[in-house]
Amino acid sequence: MRSKLKQMWTDKTLYFMLLPGLLYFIIFHVWPIIGMKLAFYDFRIMGNNVFVGLKYFRELFSTPIFTQVIANTLIISAMKMFLIFPIPIIFALMLNEFMNGKFRKTVQVVSYLPHFLSWVVIAGIWFEFLSKSTGAVNALIQLFGFPAHDFLTDKDSIRWVLVASEAWRNIGWDSIIFLAAILGINQSLYEAAYVDGASRWHIVTRVVLPHLYVPMVTIFILNVGFIMNAGLDQVLNFTNDSVNSQIDIIDTYVYRVGLINGQYSFATAANLFKSAIGVTLVLSTHFISKKLTSKGAW
Amino acid sequence: MKKVLLTSVAALMMLTTACGTNKPTETTSPAATNAASTGPVTLNIVAKDFPADDPNAQKLVKGIEEGMKAEGKNIKLNIVPVQSGTYSEKLGLLLQSGNIPDLIYFQGGDYQFAVTQKILTDLTPYIEKSTNVKASMSDFNKERMKNYPYLLWLSPINSAVPVVRQDWLDKTASGKEVLANPTIDNYYNFLKEVKEKNNAKFAYTTAGNLDELDVIFGQAFGVTSTWLKGADGKYVYSRTSAAEKEKLAFYAKLYKEGLLDPEYLTKKYDTKEKAFYDGQAAVVAGTQGKVIDIYNTKMTGQNGANAKLTPLPPATGKAQGYTPVDISKESRGFAISAASKNKDAAFSVLEYMASQKGQMLDKLGVEGQEYTIVDNKIKLTDKFASWFPHFVETTLNFKPDKAFDPSTPYLSAPAMKSLEMFASKATKDNAFIMPADLAAKWDASLALYKGFAADVVTGKKTVADFDKFVEQWNAAGGKEVTEYANKTIK
Repeated sequence: MRSKLKQMWTDKTLYFMLLPGLLYFIIFHVWPIIGMKLAFYDFRIMGNNVFVGLKYFRELFSTPIFTQVIANTLIISAMKMFLIFPIPIIFALMLNEFMNGKFRKTVQVVSYLPHFLSWVVIAGIWFEFLSKSTGAVNALIQLFGFPAHDFLTDKDSIRWVLVASEAWRNIGWDSIIFLAAILGINQSLYEAAYVDGASRWHIVTRVVLPHLYVPMVTIFILNVGFIMNAGLDQVLNFTNDSVNSQIDIIDTYVYRVGLINGQYSFATAANLFKSAIGVTLVLSTHFISKKLTSKGAW
Repeated sequence: MKKVLLTSVAALMMLTTACGTNKPTETTSPAATNAASTGPVTLNIVAKDFPADDPNAQKLVKGIEEGMKAEGKNIKLNIVPVQSGTYSEKLGLLLQSGNIPDLIYFQGGDYQFAVTQKILTDLTPYIEKSTNVKASMSDFNKERMKNYPYLLWLSPINSAVPVVRQDWLDKTASGKEVLANPTIDNYYNFLKEVKEKNNAKFAYTTAGNLDELDVIFGQAFGVTSTWLKGADGKYVYSRTSAAEKEKLAFYAKLYKEGLLDPEYLTKKYDTKEKAFYDGQAAVVAGTQGKVIDIYNTKMTGQNGANAKLTPLPPATGKAQGYTPVDISKESRGFAISAASKNKDAAFSVLEYMASQKGQMLDKLGVEGQEYTIVDNKIKLTDKFASWFPHFVETTLNFKPDKAFDPSTPYLSAPAMKSLEMFASKATKDNAFIMPADLAAKWDASLALYKGFAADVVTGKKTVADFDKFVEQWNAAGGKEVTEYANKTIK
């Protein structure tokens, strides 16, 4: 313990640099945990809150729509997690193959741009893009002799629209960490592989990919922690009466019943339940990953 | 090390949870009103579109303070900032923090907790003693105040009236018929003809749901209130009635024949309005009065004077009327905090704003800036476009001592007409305030209805599925809500 403290003192500058981040997490992420107790109380603006035990949890689980909301959240999150997860990795690998630095940088910058747009703007773009009457996608479909399809009001299509728009928004941004890992690979490994007669495919599969395992596992485990976050802003902007039953997620439910109707305790109970699932999943995934690959998030 | 880390995190979580106080907010207890004071009485006010750094808000506040001072009431208004974002959400969070201003504007959908938590003052005794506020109240205001005496909103009812371009209406033979005898069949013929004759893409567009179509047809099909009394004397939710079934079948027909915008579900207000101005849609609905005035200005600005708007009447059938007016409570409005120490002063601001001087300031702005007096007439300037009333929107008791210059009327003729038509065809609804413990069930059953209605209209389901929908609606919580309705509605 003493040696660890001594080591910390030696690296005090590094620890000092850590302080702002630490404070941020304490103030905005740890301290609000106190507020979670509201799930067990009837909130009062004036006077003391009234302890009601598990009343709001019972109410939550007895609401028929809640099962549907949980299912939607898990399905949409799982679709996003498994389908989108490989895309930034493939994108980073492809970018790495471009020899022309200027072209690569241009593609990179363009791919980052959607990440900085709000979901309101993105939804507007996608609405235009997928419009049944004027959208480019339907124009193309009709060009090949197929009937136009209303993707935005179709129950079978809307989740795919969410996945595709999420991928479009984040592909560039999410690939940064993998690109950084690729750029960190020691050049001598490439040279040795070339000397051994490796093709580009061999280099990708035998040199580059093994170096991406750690970031891949870490990011995957962290993503699992966010499995109950299926995308509030995105869903709010893409929802309509026809597809709401397919994409109403915990966050939109909490927003509607909790914030709009002022049922704060009820909303807190729903959020606490959501957080508990998230924590459980992260710990389980970390444990499984450690067992299977001896790699984990920490 | 890992164990230490995990134990520390767990301990921290337990500690923070355990140490949390039962009382997250403290407010001053409700105090007696108006302590004697020689200086100005400072009132905290929070309202939508009322940021302290907005020049128009500053002008309004200065005008109120000076105007009231001239009447012997020395007050100072202190604008409480709200975080940017959705006003109703941010206001809810502000109040939760225990920071409750004296005068609070509620935007709507954000005050259920205020009912249960009794943070608002009963305004009935203040209104009884008032002169100007009382004179500016409509019958609906009075009914609402009886049911929920905490919010005061001196405004026309926030309900939509359908409008069509006059030049397009004139091209149709069925247009005159629909104005004289607006049966459902005549409306159907009119929608068909107005679309064809003017090469519109569709006859009617709405933003996201069917509410703006119900404005015309709801009552004609028999959906005369939220809760309909059956032959057995019991109330049923109108959306589960035979009248609703018939109405949805009609809407599905409009959709199938291209009379209803095929993309109405994904339309937003801006795209709906654009479709109207650009000539894609022939008819849209807009809030009577001020919004119709804006529509008219934009439409004539883009398509010429002949494109001025004509408000349309609601269809006749089993009944006639625009969407029934909810009188269970004001949907928005000003409230006075129960904890305010200056309730009389706070109400005196509302009373002043309802006076002729207050209304001139609130509605028209500052003389020499938003309007000028030319030849003893009120002429609105270009700056008036960015001015809008914050306190009293209704024109019920607005009687300026000078006439408006004919080139710049306060409200255009179509806007005035929409107010008149709504007033003559408005009926009262029997909706009630949903109690907190039914909120989740009400949300679930409402979501089910919206989904079903959208599916029927867009042809994914037919009205043959209606009985199954009613079963599901009851199972989703509708049964409990209906039982409550039968106990509540007198």
